[in-house]
Amino acid sequence: MKLQRLQVEQLRQFRKPLVLDDLQPGINLIHGPNESGKSTLVRAIRAAFFERHRSKSVEDLRPWSDSAAAPTIDLSFEHNQQQWQLTKSFLQRKRCDLVVDRHAFSGEDAEEKLAELLGYQFPKKGASKEEHWGIPGLLWIEQGTGQDIEKAVEYAGNHLKSALNGLVGEVASTAGDDVIQTVQTQRAALLTATGKPREEYAQLEKDRDLLQSDIAELEERIEQYQTQVDRLGALNEAYNRAEQERPWEEARRNLEHARAQYQQVETLQQQQTQDQATHHHLQQNLGLLQESQGQLQSQRQKLEQRQKELEKAQQTLEQEMLRAPAFDKAVEQARSDYETAVKAVELARLAERRGHLQQEITRLENQQKSLQQNLTKASEFGVQIDDARTQKQKSLIDATAVQKATSTQRQLAEENIRSQAIATRLTWQLEPGHRLKLNDSEIQGAGEQRLLTDSTLEIPGIGTLGVTPGGEDLASARRTLAHLEQSLGEQLRALGVANTEEAEARLARYQEAESRLRHLDDLIRSVAPNGVERLTAEHQDSGAQLEQKKTELDALPKSEQAAQETALSLTSAESNRSTAESRLSEAETAKRKHEADALSASHSRDNAQREWQQLKDELDTEKRQQQLDKLTSDIAGAEQKKADLEKTLQQRDSNIQQARPDLLKQDIDRYQRAAETLQNAQEGRDRELRDIRVRLEAWGAEGLEEQCSEKKGELEHVNRRYAELHRRAQALDLLLNLLTEKRQALTRRLQAPLQKHLDHYLSVLFPQATLEVDEHLVPGKFSRGNELGQMAELSFGAREQMGLISRLAYADLLQDAGRPTLIILDDTLVHSDAERLDGMKRILFDAAHRHQILLFTCHPEKWRDLGVEPRDLESLKAKV
Amino acid sequence: MPKFLHTADWQMGRSFSRFETEDAAALVEARYEAIERLARLAVEQECDAVLVAGDVFDAQTVSDRTIRRVFNATKEFSGPWVMLPGNHDAALAESVWSRARRLDAVPANVHLALEPGLINLEAQGLAILCAPLTQRLTHGDLTEPFNTLETPAGLLRIGLGHGSVQGLLPDSVDATNPIAPDRNETARLDYLALGDWHGAKQINERTWYSGTPEPERFRNNDAGYALVVNISAPGAIPEVTRHSTARYQWHQWRETLSVSSDLDELLRRIEELPEASVLDIRLDGAINLEDDQRLNNALSIAEARFRSIACDRTRLQLEPTEEDITALHADGYLGEVIEELRIRQQDESPESARDALAILASLLKDKGAEVAR
Repeated sequence: MKLQRLQVEQLRQFRKPLVLDDLQPGINLIHGPNESGKSTLVRAIRAAFFERHRSKSVEDLRPWSDSAAAPTIDLSFEHNQQQWQLTKSFLQRKRCDLVVDRHAFSGEDAEEKLAELLGYQFPKKGASKEEHWGIPGLLWIEQGTGQDIEKAVEYAGNHLKSALNGLVGEVASTAGDDVIQTVQTQRAALLTATGKPREEYAQLEKDRDLLQSDIAELEERIEQYQTQVDRLGALNEAYNRAEQERPWEEARRNLEHARAQYQQVETLQQQQTQDQATHHHLQQNLGLLQESQGQLQSQRQKLEQRQKELEKAQQTLEQEMLRAPAFDKAVEQARSDYETAVKAVELARLAERRGHLQQEITRLENQQKSLQQNLTKASEFGVQIDDARTQKQKSLIDATAVQKATSTQRQLAEENIRSQAIATRLTWQLEPGHRLKLNDSEIQGAGEQRLLTDSTLEIPGIGTLGVTPGGEDLASARRTLAHLEQSLGEQLRALGVANTEEAEARLARYQEAESRLRHLDDLIRSVAPNGVERLTAEHQDSGAQLEQKKTELDALPKSEQAAQETALSLTSAESNRSTAESRLSEAETAKRKHEADALSASHSRDNAQREWQQLKDELDTEKRQQQLDKLTSDIAGAEQKKADLEKTLQQRDSNIQQARPDLLKQDIDRYQRAAETLQNAQEGRDRELRDIRVRLEAWGAEGLEEQCSEKKGELEHVNRRYAELHRRAQALDLLLNLLTEKRQALTRRLQAPLQKHLDHYLSVLFPQATLEVDEHLVPGKFSRGNELGQMAELSFGAREQMGLISRLAYADLLQDAGRPTLIILDDTLVHSDAERLDGMKRILFDAAHRHQILLFTCHPEKWRDLGVEPRDLESLKAKV
Repeated sequence: MPKFLHTADWQMGRSFSRFETEDAAALVEARYEAIERLARLAVEQECDAVLVAGDVFDAQTVSDRTIRRVFNATKEFSGPWVMLPGNHDAALAESVWSRARRLDAVPANVHLALEPGLINLEAQGLAILCAPLTQRLTHGDLTEPFNTLETPAGLLRIGLGHGSVQGLLPDSVDATNPIAPDRNETARLDYLALGDWHGAKQINERTWYSGTPEPERFRNNDAGYALVVNISAPGAIPEVTRHSTARYQWHQWRETLSVSSDLDELLRRIEELPEASVLDIRLDGAINLEDDQRLNNALSIAEARFRSIACDRTRLQLEPTEEDITALHADGYLGEVIEELRIRQQDESPESARDALAILASLLKDKGAEVAR
């Protein structure tokens, strides 16, 4: 749609016609100061389209105080290659003429045609308001309303959608939204927005709970009632049975019986006590009697005891008497044995003496012989000693002198050797047959000679050679030698020997004789230690002794050979004798003791005899006997009585025990209680029966089960109604969900192209931002970087910018759908800063390639760089 | 030639909670009318006595009014009535019977058999051997004492009992209140009048259940009769005739719909039913929107005609045809929603989907109607 020309006259300040022609397809910038008529032009355009020509609500179009005015608007525009010419007059001349490519329309037809073209409605009566404006309401922005887009979109909704339907080829349901609304309403009658039951549906829930609790209560009461009926039945039966059986009476009877029994037992017990006292008395009496009898009986016993003692003493005596011969015989025997033993000892002594003497004789004989031998030997040794003494006398020499000579001899020899060593050595080796004379000694062959003294070597035929050995020592040695030789010679002479060897031999002979002499002395001392004389005396003494002994032996009586043979050794015989002696002594002691015993027994017997006799005499009196007899018979009588009484007592005790008075006592108690309890129970039953009857009568009259049944019926109805509503609520819920869901899906499909256009513009202003369109095609969620929020939360300026962007996007959408798009901006974007305004200018310029834009402003300087020629309203007015 | 009426199981005081209040009240009222009809029947048939074989009352604690009304309803027949306590109205220490007596509601001609034993109706030639329940449940046969119970010569031996004849009734194994099936023989009875089984049923030529005179449940077991028993002489085979006493017939139908003619057949059957009917229908299968509308209309008409009609369509799926949908003008996403709901009817809980579809269809239909206007 391209507006080509606009003319107004008799309209507010434009009393004269004002023509705005030569309008461009893109942006047309119309400026003028305040009050210059910009808004009047916009109002004129709106009135031309929106107001019925017959409307009485357009008084504002009338020029001030001009009652005859007929405000008229002339519009020429092109759309879909068709030329549209609209002339509309109000008030005084109500008229509307439309020519579309030579087809003329007038009046309401013309108006409807326009409304259809642009997408708006007429009011049924009165002035046209926002809600009627439809698409133009969205695209024609009045001063200061650019930011409010929601209402405008809502009013344009159906037109937008039908445009979109055509665009995306979807068929939106014609009745859909109405259906949704109806379903919503119907659902709202049952459910709250959050799905909770409400009104009748909710009330039914409450009613149901109430009824259920009523029923539960009734059922409980019915159960109580039935329990009570059962109780009544059981109780009634028990009561009647008890009335018939009257068990308490039986208990009473038992009680009486038990009491009678107990009384009997008590009587028995009294008798028992009396008899027990009698018994005690009897027992005491019997005790006294028995004591007396005991005394008497004890004397009798004493007699018997004495009798026994007497018998025993007699017996002992007799026994002793019987044993006497045995003791005598034993003594006899012991004595005989003893005498025999004494004889044996004598014999043994004799034999021993003889033995001794014989031994002495033998010893002395041997001694005699030994002494004789020693005497012989001693005389032999005496001869030898004399011989040795002679020898010794002959070889007598001083051992010390010999030793000294030998030593000197040895010194001489040693000195000789030394002198030889220091002597001058003369060696020779002569031709055979040649001889030399050394110091007058002939030498021949080979040899050597040590020379101590000056020597001469005489060589036959030649002369003599003198040899003088050199050195002091040699001289000394020569002197020593000479000295020693002299000493030796003297010593040997003194000794009377030619040489040392002879001296030594003589010394050896002397020493040998001396040793033999000492040996012989020892020998002679061995045979005659005290000398030979003494030995001889001893020999004589021993001979004399021997003779004596022999004489003694011969003097001894000679016993028979046999007796000697059997004779015991002395010790043995002595021992036998001693044994026999002690036996004899024992036997004698035993006999003595026996004699003493026998005597004692005899005494005892006599005593016993006397005592027994004494007591017997005493007891054997008549009075005593009578006393005893009486006592015995008394005791027997008392015992019989006691036995009888005891039997009675025992019998009665057993009777009492059998009657069990303890249990009888308990029985009395028990029966008493039982009777009371039973009677009480019966009375209790009677009371309870009456109570229950009264209660049941009252409850029965209420008709509980019928009531309950009715309540159940009500509950069933409520439940049924509830179930119906529940089903309906669920069905409505499901239906609403499905409808909404499908509708949303559709809307999402429709949103896509709008979003595309929106993004196109938005990216110019905020490269990274997004502005989402909601299901009603209203821009809602805005995001820029981290910022996230609703468009309504933005600043006024930003909202205005977003509003304009959105409107341009709608325009694009409408154009895509082949709808007319005229954009009118009345002093818009006054709240934008320079930078944003720059961006918006780029956007407007871009949009102007597709849409015709009428931009009215009182700030032309702000729009200088739009690249269009601004048109000054003042100059236009002046032109007229 | 004694002749008597055998009835049982009146279950007075029962309420019919499953029905709408108005219907329930009518059904309760019908039970009092049934007693009146019994009394009239006894008069018409010239019966000598009326024997009620237990469960006169549905519960012990019914209202005083109920008690009085029951006895009032008997007044047309002035001959003797013998009423036997059953398991619902057992003769406990305190019972509906003792209350009735306290209320002085029992007419002189009504004999209450509250204790086991004989009630001799000598004038009528009947000796009634009574086996009342004196406990809520018994596991022994209460009619056994009949075997040894002697009756005056010349009187018919008529047993009156309440319980399950063993081995002959369904679910009677281990049933409480058992009754031997040959009791009439062992006790030399001319006739054994039984209650507890709610349908009229012959056990043998001398033993009968009369059933309840007015049906009170859907189970189809020949309820709604009274028996007139005619015995010419002691030992003679009784001559038993069934007389319908029911006001309402109870029907319970389980039907599967798949094609339109199934619905035609159902609607035809509904139309053929008498007005005094209590009808319970449960449908499964599938139905299209048009037939659904037809069914709605038919049920609406039936509601007005019958005493009560209930139709459970929970398992019946709505299957809109192409024509249905076209007729609904369900364009755009509404069409998608309908399709979705159709599919969801196959899911685990099809109920909501079915209901939702029905709601949507009705909304669209209304809209269509609006547009058409």
